[in-house]
Amino acid sequence: MGSIAKIHEMLVGKQLSCAELTKSYLDEIDKSNSVLNAYVNVTPDEAMKTAEAVDKKIAAGEEIGMLEGVPMTLKDNISTKGIETTCCSKILTGYKPIYDATVWELLQNQNAVMLGKTNMDEFAMGSSCETSYFGGAANPFNTNHVAGGSSGGVAGAVGGNIAAYGLGSDTGGSIRQPASFCGVVGLKPTYGAVSRYGLIAYASSLDQIGPITKSVEDAAVVFDAISKQDKRDSTSKGSAKATFDTLDNDIKGMKIGIAREYLDGVRDDVKEAVLEAAKVYESLGAEIVYFDLPILKFALPVYYIIACAEASSNLGRYDGIRYGYKTEHYNGTHDMICRTRSEGFGEEVKRRILLGTYVLSAGYYDAYYKKAQNLRGTIISAFNKAFESCDVILVPTVPMTAFEKGNAISDPIETYLTDICTVPVNIAGLPGVSIPCGFNKNGMPIGMQLIGKSFGEAEILNAAYKYQQAQPDKFMDTKWGVKL
Amino acid sequence: MKYELVSGFETHIELSTKTKIFCGCTTQFGGEPNTHCCPVCIGLPGTLPVLNREVVRFAIKAGLAVHGEIAEVAKMDRKNYCYPDLSKAYQISQLYAPLIIGGYVELSNGRKIRLHHIHIEEDAGKLIHQHGDTYVDYNRGGVPLIEIVSEPDIRSIDEAKEYVEKLQQVMRAIGVSDCKMQEGSMRCDVNISVRPEGTEEFGTRTEIKNMNSINNIAKAMEYEYDRQVDLIESGGKVVQETLRYDDATGTTSSMRSKEDAHDYRYFRDPDLVTINISREEVEQLRAELPELPADRYKRYVEEIGLPEKDAALLTKYRRISEYFDEASKGVKNPKTVSNFIIGQIFRRTETEADKEIFDVPVTPARLNELVKLLDGGKIRNNLAKSTLEKMLDTGKGALDFISESDMAGLDENALLELCKNAVQGNPKAVEDFKNGKEKAIKALVGNVMKNSRGKADAVAAEAKIKEIINNG
Amino acid sequence: MVTREDVENIALLSKLFVPEEELDGLTKSMQEIVDFANTINNAPASDEGFDNINNLSNVFREDEVVPSFPSTEILKNAPEQAEDHFLVRNRE
Repeated sequence: MGSIAKIHEMLVGKQLSCAELTKSYLDEIDKSNSVLNAYVNVTPDEAMKTAEAVDKKIAAGEEIGMLEGVPMTLKDNISTKGIETTCCSKILTGYKPIYDATVWELLQNQNAVMLGKTNMDEFAMGSSCETSYFGGAANPFNTNHVAGGSSGGVAGAVGGNIAAYGLGSDTGGSIRQPASFCGVVGLKPTYGAVSRYGLIAYASSLDQIGPITKSVEDAAVVFDAISKQDKRDSTSKGSAKATFDTLDNDIKGMKIGIAREYLDGVRDDVKEAVLEAAKVYESLGAEIVYFDLPILKFALPVYYIIACAEASSNLGRYDGIRYGYKTEHYNGTHDMICRTRSEGFGEEVKRRILLGTYVLSAGYYDAYYKKAQNLRGTIISAFNKAFESCDVILVPTVPMTAFEKGNAISDPIETYLTDICTVPVNIAGLPGVSIPCGFNKNGMPIGMQLIGKSFGEAEILNAAYKYQQAQPDKFMDTKWGVKL
Repeated sequence: MKYELVSGFETHIELSTKTKIFCGCTTQFGGEPNTHCCPVCIGLPGTLPVLNREVVRFAIKAGLAVHGEIAEVAKMDRKNYCYPDLSKAYQISQLYAPLIIGGYVELSNGRKIRLHHIHIEEDAGKLIHQHGDTYVDYNRGGVPLIEIVSEPDIRSIDEAKEYVEKLQQVMRAIGVSDCKMQEGSMRCDVNISVRPEGTEEFGTRTEIKNMNSINNIAKAMEYEYDRQVDLIESGGKVVQETLRYDDATGTTSSMRSKEDAHDYRYFRDPDLVTINISREEVEQLRAELPELPADRYKRYVEEIGLPEKDAALLTKYRRISEYFDEASKGVKNPKTVSNFIIGQIFRRTETEADKEIFDVPVTPARLNELVKLLDGGKIRNNLAKSTLEKMLDTGKGALDFISESDMAGLDENALLELCKNAVQGNPKAVEDFKNGKEKAIKALVGNVMKNSRGKADAVAAEAKIKEIINNG
Repeated sequence: MVTREDVENIALLSKLFVPEEELDGLTKSMQEIVDFANTINNAPASDEGFDNINNLSNVFREDEVVPSFPSTEILKNAPEQAEDHFLVRNRE
């Protein structure tokens, strides 16, 4: 049983009240957040208010939904009406949205108890959470290590037991990579499965919101709750079917593909863990097939060109006029805007804006952006072809385990390489789930990724669940249970 | 040396849909500042655009009305530039796959001004500069626009004026825009260059931005033409640049500053999906189009036989031609209706704005009724004219002023009696007529008309009077 | 080849100030990233088009008015406002 189901059972069985539950999470945040730095904004009043409403319903004998009263968190780039939403950037300090993101609306309708907003790389640009204006988030397994990024705060909070689950966003691996680093489950849905309305954009054609949870069942429950078509997001389609009901389907005969390219340059401990997992799958009756995806070596530059181009446009609006930070001293409007942006954005964000502007500027558009878009088409075709011979693809999530703090920022390209296993999924718009598959010799978690066909969330969660059942020790859910 | 003017227009027209292009806020003009706004149109982080279906339909209608080709596949692009009136720092527009390709506007001299394309985009907000400070109102931000981009086919200021007028007429006729230049719902960027007459090669062009009246367009073009010719004549070179026209001084000046680097970095907007336009939909929209001003003009001249000048006056504004069509339903001679409108009703609608609205006290049905009385010989022209004036004064119908007896006509005996009375009562006129003064008869006829309260037939009366006088 | 002038130009387009002393460093760093981006030139030529991820088309809203937000809400987050307008003073 997943953590969410356990909490649900306890609430329904009146083993504890939702207020008590929420209070215990808030106390735990008080204790450990100074070290983990997972939360950048804790919202105890709102949380307790919802918790009390849930308690009233339970007391009145009303039925409550699975997510009702379950304490959770949102990444700080998901808009919450009246609650500061900063993308962990100086430029959005003080900004309180006047509307709710669709995902938050859906969860509020289910009386989700939001404990607060969690840390992230500034505007989701980073792989370590260290570009956050509020400082990086620590890894709950070893607080000298990073939680990963960009949704490091959500992963750290879930891994550190200060949220039952959370929603992150994934543009090039920002859900799966920190999930892998923090030993939790992270699902990046198919592009269009979850509404982006209210998600502060980094790269619009790559961004997706998804759950970070302790167990595969939890991921399925949360995904099923948020994957609805939204008329406010033209690119949203909702999900084809609920994933929870098919988690336990037999995977005998399932073809699990391994692309050799994904194993290149991966650290040995990670590679071994993934190949070990492949053996687990064989023991469960699945068939392992190997194939090549040579086009993947271009995925990373394609990703950076497209992501930065879109970001340079998306981030043009932060000009100090309508919301957020504004510089104190200036002379004229142009000067005000330039100063506001130069002071308000961090180095990595500025670097990506400049690169994005460069690849879209006159004379370079064809060579970079247009070419990258064409390659995007080629990569999609290559995946489609691969899925002719397999049902899901098994690869590492990250070529390494969580690195020590302060090691990421020095060389931007070196840092970009950590995304090599995660970005192809975003480029092709496919679903990918990262689940724990072991620990390295220092006890840091290793993650593996299952990639599915477009809108194939049910298949990858089914495969993930079967692995979790076979290897329960690798998952936090059973190792620590729900810490209360 | 003589120089030829070469000009192309980029015309922005606000579409009169109920809501903005990407959100449900009203497009109503004016309103208290920032009250026609929502998170989407002020570009709050995380918001997304959803395209208004009606905008696409209106644009297609506009395209059909100017003979454009409707694309099967159209896409939305982002035009990136940072300015306080643009809430997202990009304008959602179309570059790579616009809705309408080609088309033309035909001028009265027979020349066709070719169109390059028409695309849809969003309008920006409004800036008010006061003591150097800038106040921003986003009510207009997100109002749908079409931009009609012409080829450089315009060769004179008169052609330019007519081009703009023709676009106004046709867009109003099909009901996609009110094209009010004074309210900014129609604005032109004018590209202009000159070249020695007889040569083919284009000169370097300048662009005068945001012209908002036909008068100013003419004045600005005249100024810019002279400036360019003078520059070339004196050995200088025209620099390609963007200009603003100063109404007060009647001059153009450069808008360039080192702060605006112009590179719009267009790329496909990833927040919006492809627009596929089926041929069925195009045909359906074509069928919905009303008769276009050019077709109407042709019909008035060729089928109804109105003089060209009258036809042009009636087709300049959509409501007037609709009024004319309704008022002339079933009448024997539509020219009469046209005469009443141009001769009498126009005197009550003096300004262009009045003509555009054409809200006159006499409904077309009532004018129709009046003209039919005339057609049926029930009343005479003079009575019809004076009655129309009364109708215009009061808004009442013809029958409120014309009695049964007015329409009864005169029998032979009554006419004879009136003629006799006229002859007897005006010996001087009779004498003059007998002495060969043909005109004197008119006074006698006038007397009969007056005493018959306009019911008498002037021709019959004249014949009768002559008969009485000749028979002694 | 990324030049100082390129960086100055894209900084201007991006509305970012680059202090003179950082210009050389940034040019070098941009060159590295651009070199990295250039690796796509080794990819096989492809005429594979890309439209949008799920090949969606014709997603519209109907032309129905939805009440706008009160201007107090619209202006709520403005760093500066006056007379129901967003305000940018000429200098501070």
